[in-house]
Amino acid sequence: MIVASRKSLDEILGLLGSCKKVLVLGCGGCTSICLAGGQREVRDLCAELDARVRDHGGGLTLHELTIERQCNETFFADADALVKDYEAVLSTACGAGVQFVAERHPALPVLPALNTAFVGFDKGVGWYEENCRTCGDCVLGETGGICPVTRCAKSLFNGPCGGTRSEGTCEVDKTVPCAWFEIHKRLKGQGRLALITKVRPAREWENQTRRSVIQEPYKARYAKP
Amino acid sequence: MSEIQNPPVDRGQIERALARHKDRMKLYLSHCMHCTLCAESCFMYMSRDKDPQYMPSYKVINSVGVLYRKGPGIGRDDLQKMKGIVWRNCVLCTRCYCPVGVDVPAMIAFARGVLRSQGIHPDFDEQGAMESWL
Ligand code: SF4
Ligand code: SF4
Ligand code: SF4
Repeated sequence: MIVASRKSLDEILGLLGSCKKVLVLGCGGCTSICLAGGQREVRDLCAELDARVRDHGGGLTLHELTIERQCNETFFADADALVKDYEAVLSTACGAGVQFVAERHPALPVLPALNTAFVGFDKGVGWYEENCRTCGDCVLGETGGICPVTRCAKSLFNGPCGGTRSEGTCEVDKTVPCAWFEIHKRLKGQGRLALITKVRPAREWENQTRRSVIQEPYKARYAKP
Repeated sequence: MSEIQNPPVDRGQIERALARHKDRMKLYLSHCMHCTLCAESCFMYMSRDKDPQYMPSYKVINSVGVLYRKGPGIGRDDLQKMKGIVWRNCVLCTRCYCPVGVDVPAMIAFARGVLRSQGIHPDFDEQGAMESWL
């Protein structure tokens, strides 16, 4: 799941600038589930904004609307009909959702109310942990199901680096387990330790361009003429 | 249950939403031939032993269909009943296929929107434990 957290009220107010009529657009998808940007969080955010603005003389009109997902046009009928009445949209979706809205309504400032943090899993209610950097070339099959891109401080594909502390933590931060120490333990436990010596070619992280995915059965449908 | 916990629905607001989407929604409702071809394209239906309440057609008839049939006579109990159908029984993956072009996800999303306008939506924390979806 995509995990996000809300920006501070000050930052949001700064983004809103002099806008007086704002559509606050919630997302019923990932950011609802991670308790950052669903209908209830939109309600809370509007209440906070209202209270703050009222203390400073008022003059901000907010309209709340939560749509099911901000990354798929199927769900935009109500939002599209409303946006023309507003000076800006404040979105509580992830960065993809914000950009989707911005692309649909290029004449309007579409502002993020959240910081999109990572792809991760639920540790408890309201507690999430990063597990995948969506690198596009997953190595989990060879690393015992532990992601070195996310969990190694240097994102090493061939580890450990040599800086592992005796207690199995990372030289960068002694409270953080060394990803490659964990990978070693896991692979050993599975009787697959030989995989650790496999040399994986260096990844070229620089000069990354925007990625897209078209699943195999749909390649013909979207082929450029 | 107290009035605060269970306030009356805002009929005017529901009526306006129904009117705004009437042409498209009624067209979809009238075009559904009950052929059940959509059923096998829904993973929720297939992965739940073909339980009919997960059929896309069942889900729209018992949500959007009920909204238009009852119109302003709709009550909060009706909407609460719908909550499970439109959230628990459908994840809005948009994978369902209808040979005559009924847009099931758009219909479910519309029903969710009506429920949301009355403050009915799932919560994902302790207070809104999974049972509240049903
Ligand atoms: S817009 Fe972002 S937060 Fe909302 S459903 Fe899509 S991916 Fe998830
Ligand atoms: S290697 Fe790590 S970052 Fe890359 S896809 Fe796999 S889990 Fe995600
Ligand atoms: S959108 Fe809903 S009805 Fe359609 S396939 Fe997905 S779960 Fe089934």
